[in-house]
Amino acid sequence: MAATTAVLFPCSPGEAIEAFGDGDGVRILAGGTLLVPELHLRGGAPEQVVALSGAGLDFVKEPCDGEIMARVGAMTPVDRLCTQPAPIGPAARGIGDGEIRAAATLGGNLCAPAGFGDLQAPLLALDASARSAGSDRERTESLEDFLAARDGRLLLEVSYVAPLEMGGGMHLRTTTDGRRVFDDSHYSRPAAGAFASLGRPHAHHFTVMSVSGVRTVGGEVRLAAVGVGPVGVRLRAAEALAHDPEAAGAAAAEEVNPSDDPLASGWYRRRTLPSLVRRVLSELEVGS
Amino acid sequence: MKAVGARLPRYDGVGHATGRTAFVDDIRAHGTLWAKALRSPHDYATITRLDTTAAENMPGVRAVITHADVPLLEYGHLSALGIPADEPLLAKDEVRYKGQPIALVAAETTEQAADAVAAIEVDFAPKTPLFDVRKAFDADVSQPHHWGTVYPHFEESMDRRQIRKGSIEKAFDDADKIISGVYRPAAIEQMPIETQVCLSVPEPDGRFTIYSCTQALYFSMGVVAAHMQIPLNRLKFVGGTVGGGFGGKVDTATETVCTLLAQRSGRPVKWRWTREEEFLCSSTRAPWHMEIIDAVTDDGWILGRKMLTLHDAGAYARFSPYGVTKHSFHHTGAYTIPNLHFDGYVVFTNRVPTTAMRGYGVTSVSFAVESHMSRVAEELGIDPFELRLKNANRIGDTSPNGIAYTDPSTVDVLHAISEATGNELAPGYAAASRQRRAGEWLPDHLLAQISDTEVH
Amino acid sequence: MKITLNGADAQVDSPPLTPLLHVLREELGVLSAKAGCENGGCGACTVLIDGSPRRACLTAAIAADGSEVTTVEGLGTPEALSPVQKAFVHFCAAQCGFCTPGMVIAATAYLDKGGSGSREEITEALAGHVCRCTGYLKIVDAVAAAREGDFDMSVAAESPHTQVRA
Ligand SMILES: Cc1cc2nc3c(=O)[nH]c(=O)nc-3n(C[C@H](O)[C@H](O)[C@H](O)COP(=O)(O)OP(=O)(O)OC[C@H]3O[C@@H](n4cnc5c(N)ncnc54)[C@H](O)[C@@H]3O)c2cc1C
Ligand code: FES
Ligand code: FES
Repeated sequence: MAATTAVLFPCSPGEAIEAFGDGDGVRILAGGTLLVPELHLRGGAPEQVVALSGAGLDFVKEPCDGEIMARVGAMTPVDRLCTQPAPIGPAARGIGDGEIRAAATLGGNLCAPAGFGDLQAPLLALDASARSAGSDRERTESLEDFLAARDGRLLLEVSYVAPLEMGGGMHLRTTTDGRRVFDDSHYSRPAAGAFASLGRPHAHHFTVMSVSGVRTVGGEVRLAAVGVGPVGVRLRAAEALAHDPEAAGAAAAEEVNPSDDPLASGWYRRRTLPSLVRRVLSELEVGS
Repeated sequence: MKAVGARLPRYDGVGHATGRTAFVDDIRAHGTLWAKALRSPHDYATITRLDTTAAENMPGVRAVITHADVPLLEYGHLSALGIPADEPLLAKDEVRYKGQPIALVAAETTEQAADAVAAIEVDFAPKTPLFDVRKAFDADVSQPHHWGTVYPHFEESMDRRQIRKGSIEKAFDDADKIISGVYRPAAIEQMPIETQVCLSVPEPDGRFTIYSCTQALYFSMGVVAAHMQIPLNRLKFVGGTVGGGFGGKVDTATETVCTLLAQRSGRPVKWRWTREEEFLCSSTRAPWHMEIIDAVTDDGWILGRKMLTLHDAGAYARFSPYGVTKHSFHHTGAYTIPNLHFDGYVVFTNRVPTTAMRGYGVTSVSFAVESHMSRVAEELGIDPFELRLKNANRIGDTSPNGIAYTDPSTVDVLHAISEATGNELAPGYAAASRQRRAGEWLPDHLLAQISDTEVH
Repeated sequence: MKITLNGADAQVDSPPLTPLLHVLREELGVLSAKAGCENGGCGACTVLIDGSPRRACLTAAIAADGSEVTTVEGLGTPEALSPVQKAFVHFCAAQCGFCTPGMVIAATAYLDKGGSGSREEITEALAGHVCRCTGYLKIVDAVAAAREGDFDMSVAAESPHTQVRA
């Protein structure tokens, strides 16, 4: 790492966006669990590093009464997500060990290079949105779109319709015939979440592959996986067959294109993905 | 005898628990330079160009060495035993494994050393590598080693370590069944938490003080002196504090180049491998290919064994002939087999050279033998404990290389395992002992192998 | 940058993104934290930052600016061992000793936070620490017993894991 790198410490999200600018030649320092050893061991000196530790992006906002959206700041440490309902909680608990989870952040995880990013799938299954800044200033888009073009972006926060377990909501409206019913938005709330991953023998074993699932009050099922490509993916073909776990598993194996890496071969991932899909669906209590 | 049976505290426990123990990386010498290696990115290639001029002129660089700077380039790990050397300290015309060192830089900082390594101009013409010992015998593979497929210097000029005992033909003629199996344990990295590290300090009197994490201090001293062509009395080795070795710190991996760089720069030089280097370039436990064919009787006696062992030496021989020799002595495991035909080869591939690890040469054969014993028991429909107890070494039995066992513990170990796993042994087997064979434990076929000398 | 290192003020002049491990070892000469991997994978570099165990190899110097950093040198001395250090010695929980400083730091933090001392909890608390020598049993024994405080330091503990056969 060259001594010439300038490190900026923005004190608010606005300052962070300013400091990041169009992102050219800028690296973000979040928890540093990947960036610090990368710069030390691999060299390469960014012109500028923006350290987000004081930028006001460390928050978890659960929905208050009447609200249904949860918001999580990019600088929220992974260990604070360990108590979230499935699929986020179990995915977070599976990351590294206590010391890593205390330092690692959500934003760093979602922006981590291929091979990491365990929190991508749970948030994809929650159909989360990502707010980010960069050359075209701020924008909010689906996490899926963000992951597809995350280079040169500064991730600020993610938001998603909060699982029922998180409280909030309870919007009732009166129908023309005088009945009190839930607002439509209620039906979009996750009623159940599930997470299944290929076994981790110990803390030093990165997750080979995992599947996250969500079932909403309205009965919609969403599935997503990490470990089957460079970033997490929604398993849309499997979702469409969610009522038939066997078929859904087979469809999942068809719709992904996993490659070999030091953790596992693409062949092995494709072979085991269906069983993770089936486990998640059974935990979500969908299908026969 | 105050120590025997007493629970003494470790002499180094307090140092360890308070962080005071000084490992090699904790030794500080004023003005220490850092070394970094240019390593082969190819498994097998010809080096077509090597030019260090640009690197030598980089900021902070104090010394650069290549094969041309090593007084005796090739010195083998078994050279002291008169066995020819095959491995250059730094690659000359060819690289035979990924990570093989080609040039070393010593600079003021690790960053400067790394930058200089990147500035070394080197070109390669890659060749097709060979990774599997069994495939080494296929007709169409390119042999990576100038000695050919296998190490040719057992007993000076034999291509294998061989053992012949009794009459293998008779054993196979007399057998009720022939039971065979192939066993292939993979390579294992020793993975000490302290990576390979050395600090070599040039002293004003022309000597070098070498702080080393080696497991084999006097051996390393001889290797450094030989490569550098200097007398042993110019080297003072300081060792003893090893942050884990498990066999992986037997090879002299760092001391010679550090000392050459120290000599050239006149400064202390430290070379500490990164964890990545440790995984990619440090020697491992070997992969093995073992074929066992046993001649057995229906009632569970093993009359004879034919065994073929292929030991993957990786790209160079290092200690592999020694490992295979030990392996050959143990190829019957803890059991007595009177008729033997064993061939063990040290095979060259383009893997990183392999070396010792916990029970060098023996763990592989134990794995194969115990797996095979279970297979024999299963195929004969015999209790696996009974099969083992029958054939277990007794006092006076002889090993494959003809050594009489004076106090073998196999029977007792089997009894202990049986008890610990809640296994019921038939009364006869429960009463078995390590004593000299007699009665039902001494069938005719075991008579000839018993040692005449009265052992007890 | 400034840190409080084992109770004393220390000035840090390394570039701001230098790993704290490098700062401790190469700039400040505090050597107990070990560079086992410099990648977060082994735990040998673990130090306390404001009382919480952190991997020094993953922590940028600038991220520790203004913090209190404690290494095992700051927990106890050979003459006055901390309870965890005593237990490690008594239970022979260190063999080569390379992982020991990180283990002692993590164990200390775990007990300071009021850990119950169950084997499951201890295993979880030490999950990020690799020991290649001991097989962990004696380390867990030592941590579980550390709260008891005093041991007869002239002998090593009987190991509950060794069955001596008559
Ligand atoms: C021992 C060990 C075990 C691990 N185990 C796991 C595991 O099981 N699962 C897993 O998923 N990961 C694992 N990781 C990887 C890593 O720790 C996590 O992915 C972590 O969440 C990364 O977050 P960070 O804050 O430390 O990121 P940093 O290292 O600070 O950053 C990582 C990358 O993301 C960029 N970045 C960070 N924040 C933002 C942002 N807000 N906007 C844009 N870009 C940003 C950085 O510039 C950098 O390129 C492990 C790492 C170690 C060392
Ligand atoms: S050196 Fe920091 S975890 Fe290994
Ligand atoms: S005591 Fe050697 S690594 Fe733990």
